[in-house]
Amino acid sequence: MLTPIRGFAALSGAARVALAVLAAIAVVALFAPIVAPYDPAAQPDIVGAKNLPPSAQHPFGTDPYSRDVLSRVIYGARLSLTIGFLATMVSLTLGVAYGAVAGYAGGFVDALMMRVLDALLAIPRLLLLIAILAAWTRLSVGALVLFLGLTGWFGLSRIVRGQVLALKQAEFITSARALGASRRRILARHLLPNLVSPIAVAATLGVAHVIVLEVGLSYLGIGVAQPEASWGNIIHDGSDQVATLWWMSLFPGLLMVLTVMMLNIVGESLRDAYDRR
Amino acid sequence: MIVAFVATISFVLIHLAPGDPFSAALENPNVTEELRDDLRRQYGLDRPLTEQFGRYAAQLAHADLGWSFSHERPVRAVLASALPNTLLLMGVALFGSFALGILVALVQVARRGSVIDRLLDGLSLVLSSMPDFWFAILALLAFTYWLPIFPVGGAVDAVMHDSMGFGGRVVDRLRHLALPAFTLTILAAAGVARFQRAALIDVLPADYIRTARLKGLTEGAILRRHALRNALLPIISLIGLAFPALLTGAVFIEKVFAWPGMGLTLVSAIGSRDYPLVIGSVIVGSIMVTVGSLIADLLYAYADPRIRGA
Repeated sequence: MLTPIRGFAALSGAARVALAVLAAIAVVALFAPIVAPYDPAAQPDIVGAKNLPPSAQHPFGTDPYSRDVLSRVIYGARLSLTIGFLATMVSLTLGVAYGAVAGYAGGFVDALMMRVLDALLAIPRLLLLIAILAAWTRLSVGALVLFLGLTGWFGLSRIVRGQVLALKQAEFITSARALGASRRRILARHLLPNLVSPIAVAATLGVAHVIVLEVGLSYLGIGVAQPEASWGNIIHDGSDQVATLWWMSLFPGLLMVLTVMMLNIVGESLRDAYDRR
Repeated sequence: MIVAFVATISFVLIHLAPGDPFSAALENPNVTEELRDDLRRQYGLDRPLTEQFGRYAAQLAHADLGWSFSHERPVRAVLASALPNTLLLMGVALFGSFALGILVALVQVARRGSVIDRLLDGLSLVLSSMPDFWFAILALLAFTYWLPIFPVGGAVDAVMHDSMGFGGRVVDRLRHLALPAFTLTILAAAGVARFQRAALIDVLPADYIRTARLKGLTEGAILRRHALRNALLPIISLIGLAFPALLTGAVFIEKVFAWPGMGLTLVSAIGSRDYPLVIGSVIVGSIMVTVGSLIADLLYAYADPRIRGA
């Protein structure tokens, strides 16, 4: 089993650096009100201070509503990270529950549950989300998290099912059953702890994936709604004039790529550590 | 089966949502409530949902995707004119990315642990962490504004194309295709390269590789003739997985470069709340993905002698 501490020890050097960078981004996001130089929604001078290129006062420039882009990027980090984290929690819960039940039940139930999963996996996640989000014009962030979570558990439940199928035959499960443990107890106390490693990998890569999706959807104008700032809708605000407002695409994008890359490095390193055993 | 499933899900979700194509006209004081009701009646939007769904399902069975409000043409016609552009973009990217990705992986494994290997590894990691649309925006900034080599968007030059000769038209099309295809190819190639490198490294310890080495073959020949052939097998299953990724990428890249394909159609349909067109695009997209994974399965069965004929 990969406990958090042993998990950290198993990480490569690059992954530890990545983890530190992620922690730094998380701290900045957490203390956004202190770190951000301006109010992200304030429009101080819609005529005189709009579309300003980067300067000492506004390191990332200002947007067409005269809002400070740096402050919006910092608050955007807060929202994008929160959405990524919460949506992944929803997917993990659903994926683990579904996969564990299918794998443990076996037989007809398993076969049926897997066919349903095949159908769900056939729909491209982005298209499904577009179909959902296009219908509601102004969706709350909570609902966005829910939908991102609801569409993200299919792959994980397959991995979990495979693991449970394999573990079911293990000797320690047979002995637990021989000792008279209930199904629920076997699932919760014996099976789930052995699934921690694949789940940790899926969670890390899942957060990265959700961030990319949220930014993409917000870029299309159907993700996080104004005046809330997200990395995606900052880029969306500048997308009509990409060439003149290049700072609005560049800076939020850079931060997003950095975050996603660090998450991928940690996730891949976790997977290597887990494969090696 | 899958088509019916997708259609039902999208239909239910879209009709659960508040508003309809004609509520956008609310801002216009000249459009009276009667006129709006009239329009709703014309398009059957005043009927109960069950009836609307029944009619939609019956239409779908005849491969009729309904009427697009915003284009004022049948959805099938709108999509039929957009599909070839998307298929062209995805086709170029599919071949380009697998060729480039496999080549990069071969170079990396041949010089394993060297500076080149690590450099390419870092590059492919950065690229595979990059969302398609952002990379496309960067490419757009770099090659159309800062270094104006390529046209800004579209599939052909809107003004000049019709007055060009045949050769000119071909060049015009290629110039417009270059950037969208380039961005999609590079991003997909990064994923292929990462996957192929791992697959190659997996087969290197195999017995037949040791045999080949003992026969005195050069490392290059071993890599090309023995390792690559076996490591190509897992990559075929990647084709099936690459399809949804390419389609998703195409949606964003078409938007950035105003490439008149399915993605751009879908994005503009969202903006005008054109439900039949949104549902139609999602259904056609899902069919493309399903067909793609079916092709990958068939290829796999053909390429692997162990399951061939089974």
